[in-house]
Amino acid sequence: MRELILFGIIAATYLMVIAKRVPALIRSFRYQSFFLFLITLAAAIEEGHADLYWVALLILILKVLFVPYAMYRIARRINVDENLGLLVNSQLSLLIALALTYCSRIFSRTLGFHQDFRAVAITVAFAVVFIGAFLMVSRMKAFTQVTGLLVMENGIFLFGSFLSGGMPFLVEIAISLDVLISVIIMGLFVYRINKVFTHIDVNKLSRLRG
Amino acid sequence: MLIAILNILLLVACAPLVSGLISGIKNNLRMRRGQSVFQPYYNLAKLCAKEEVVSETASWIFKAAPLVVIASMLTAAVLMPWCIVAGPLRQAGDLLALIFIFSLGRFFLALAALDTGSSFGGMGSSREMFISSLAEPVFCLVVFTLSLQFGSTDIAAVSGMHAVSVASIIAATALFLVTLAETARVPVDNQETHLELTMVHEAMVLEYSGRRLAFIEMAAYIKQMILFFLIAQIIFPIALPVFGGVSEIMLWLLWYAARLVIVAIAVALVEVSVAKMRLFRVADFLGYAFVLSIVAVLCALLGV
Repeated sequence: MRELILFGIIAATYLMVIAKRVPALIRSFRYQSFFLFLITLAAAIEEGHADLYWVALLILILKVLFVPYAMYRIARRINVDENLGLLVNSQLSLLIALALTYCSRIFSRTLGFHQDFRAVAITVAFAVVFIGAFLMVSRMKAFTQVTGLLVMENGIFLFGSFLSGGMPFLVEIAISLDVLISVIIMGLFVYRINKVFTHIDVNKLSRLRG
Repeated sequence: MLIAILNILLLVACAPLVSGLISGIKNNLRMRRGQSVFQPYYNLAKLCAKEEVVSETASWIFKAAPLVVIASMLTAAVLMPWCIVAGPLRQAGDLLALIFIFSLGRFFLALAALDTGSSFGGMGSSREMFISSLAEPVFCLVVFTLSLQFGSTDIAAVSGMHAVSVASIIAATALFLVTLAETARVPVDNQETHLELTMVHEAMVLEYSGRRLAFIEMAAYIKQMILFFLIAQIIFPIALPVFGGVSEIMLWLLWYAARLVIVAIAVALVEVSVAKMRLFRVADFLGYAFVLSIVAVLCALLGV
């Protein structure tokens, strides 16, 4: 069952890679966060820690409901052009994402995880982090780069929760708040860039404006 | 042997019903009254009774193609282990042969569409080949996932599995996306319209009429039935019927049919909720299916 949820996470991440428009991107991010919520819930039920239930609830409220909503709002407010501005076309991106997944499989094997549930979990966590980084460098709009950061954060959360058997509750809350603040700051930042330069295409930011 | 043949005949006879069922569900969801579930049968009967018109420029390929298409689909149907562990022609081919038999029918259909020289036919066959060149690798990888778990490419692999693994569920997801493309369903093609710019399968068979069109449609229904059966068999593996009592066999039959209906409902839901894609977005769609199938192979290798 838990392997299936992990598969859901990686499938949602691939959906983000082929997304060509902003709403599709945000929707896939919401799916990914929802599967993250499910896997935390599964871990909570299995281990019976009250803390894990709270973490799961936090993910549900923050990452499934609030962050995508905030992103929709930012997107609407700056009238972001529907297209994401792909530097690498979507088929090639998909193949690169696949290669990254395989790399993370090799990486998890060198870490000593061979053939159990944890091996799959670590592979998926690394793959999500790598694909998030790839999304950040291969898309032109500042908006997507924020999303890439959020994807990486999801991957790191997954990695932390499976490698160390869950972080302390306080650290979890602190990280979640960090994410919340970063979304708000990024929103303001993107909004400001848009206001000053009338677009959020990072390729054009290198030109000075007097 | 006789039971097996009767079984195959029954399932082939039920094939148009699945199509009728899908359009029935779609009409229900759209709050329309729509046609009867048995409409595909009436259509086939009507086509068989009608006179045939063949273009003057058409060669023998045009006339022979529908026979090749229906023959290849029937061969595929005979190979399938519909109810018993092995189909009657078990030794004749494995799962890979099934893929090539599908290709044979498709190849002749594309050839026949080019044969009449109409621009629609050429367009349709070029699109169909574009789509199938992307769909076939996914199908192959799904087959490899199954055979990695079963240990051989024998076609009995699909009914030999009695437990669901993660790899086979992922494979079934990929196969579902391919099925949408192969059976001309909405995100890739649209069976309901004859709009010049969008049609793929319909463009290929545009020149056909009468009995030959009936053959082609019947072949499409059988192909759809086979693909649905594969998906259902992977996700809801079913044990052999215990020939104990009548009630047990009835229950088994009910569940057997219900699995196909579940797949049909899933297809209908996708069809009403998704808009048709531009042709070049289909590459993304099937690319996604391809990645899923590779993940399935990786999972099968990992043993989950």
